[in-house]
Amino acid sequence: MRKFFTVLATLSCLSLTNCGYNAIQTNDEQVKASWSEVVNQYQRRADLVPNLVNSVKGFAQQEKDVLLGVTNARAKVGSIQATPEVLNDPAAFQKFTQAQGELSSALSRLLVVTENYPQLKSDALFKDLMTQLEGTENRITVARNRYIKSVQDYNVGIRTFPNNLTAMVFGYKDKPNFTVANEKEISVAPKVDFNPTPAPAPSK
Amino acid sequence: MKAAVRAVLVALLLGWILPALALITVPQLTGRVVDQTGTLSSGDIAQLTQKLADLQTRKGSQIAVLIVPTTDGEAIEQFSLRVAEAWKIGRKKVDDGALLVVAKNDRRLRIEVGYGLEGAITDVTSKRIIDEDITPKFKSGDFAGGISAGVNRMIGLINGEKLPEPEPPHWDGFNFDVFNPFWLFFAFVISGVFRHALGRLIGSIATGGAVAVLVWFLFGGLAAALGIGVLASIVAFIVDFLPTAGSSTSGGGSSGNSGGSGWSSSSSSDSGSFSGGGGSFGGGGASGSW
Repeated sequence: MRKFFTVLATLSCLSLTNCGYNAIQTNDEQVKASWSEVVNQYQRRADLVPNLVNSVKGFAQQEKDVLLGVTNARAKVGSIQATPEVLNDPAAFQKFTQAQGELSSALSRLLVVTENYPQLKSDALFKDLMTQLEGTENRITVARNRYIKSVQDYNVGIRTFPNNLTAMVFGYKDKPNFTVANEKEISVAPKVDFNPTPAPAPSK
Repeated sequence: MKAAVRAVLVALLLGWILPALALITVPQLTGRVVDQTGTLSSGDIAQLTQKLADLQTRKGSQIAVLIVPTTDGEAIEQFSLRVAEAWKIGRKKVDDGALLVVAKNDRRLRIEVGYGLEGAITDVTSKRIIDEDITPKFKSGDFAGGISAGVNRMIGLINGEKLPEPEPPHWDGFNFDVFNPFWLFFAFVISGVFRHALGRLIGSIATGGAVAVLVWFLFGGLAAALGIGVLASIVAFIVDFLPTAGSSTSGGGSSGNSGGSGWSSSSSSDSGSFSGGGGSFGGGGASGSW
């Protein structure tokens, strides 16, 4: 009798909801699509960087360190391929997000430096590039939010009963999510210091 | 002891209320121009609404304007995106919607552009519209003029962009439901006539053809018309096997309620009820302040 019920339960599970197999596939594809969008927007930002560097160079070529930092960070980002397979490899995902984080830091350092050059700030080309950069950063934020949501749906789908059984059978793992690189650091409020940095001593 | 219990209860209740206070609710889409601050006069709003309605009739794209007093600490980019995702301005799959959001007391504004218009209204262009057309007027207190100038420029950009043709306005009036029993009743009536005149098989096919022509004539969708026609002819064929007394009374009975539930008109061409077309947004556009 029990065998009969087991068989009946399995058959009904398979026929009515495919034991969640289709749902897992749908969510998986959604995650891949959101990830492609994230990669797309990051690429858009990377494409803006050469123009930005050139326009800053026109007014502030002495800021060699910062400009070099941005160029190197962009080269590093360009060398990392971010295919959907990255989602199944936590180490590769970590490498990708780290490289993008470094580009973000390099860019914010560059922007801080440009505050010292009023001529640069009023240059039309630079202003346009800044607008494009802000727009791209906004798009990156939106794409990341949608990716996080799709990963949440997928992970919840493969962890709740009864679909977790199907996931185990077919070997579906959690997909990685964006983490903040250094949580402790950002939980400390930044110190705001209005004193201008003293001018470097002229070399004799 | 009692004070402690009360304190715990208050803390728990606050725990419920506070998260809801965190983000302000997205305003209802009551029209093409939603002004929660009373800045624009009703004449301004009517003029603006007419301009935007004309754009939709002419190009199919939708622009909406929202003026809120404040976003209550939330970044205007995030707020605009929430509004855009809730209102879904612009046509589905074409995504040709644009939203102008003004947070009056914060003195910030944003133009949020849908995926389909990001080529016409780029980030740089949005920033130029904000800096050149809108904020100078805002600074001198002319909000109606600023919004009007900005909207005019956006309309000009959309006019120059190649987009899919809009649906003819009066067809938008009917929200056609394929599983609507109205055509079923119609098939019953016509099939009776045709079957008597032409015999069972040809009568059924003729019924299907008549229904298809009618659907195509009323709603303009050839695929839907053919599909409905095939279904109607199958129904007419099957109906013939039913006892004749039952089919005539059921035909009379279903006419009453199917006629009522048939049309759910959602007219989008007049100012009566404006609704988003299902467009989606990706975070494009630009923000500014004055």
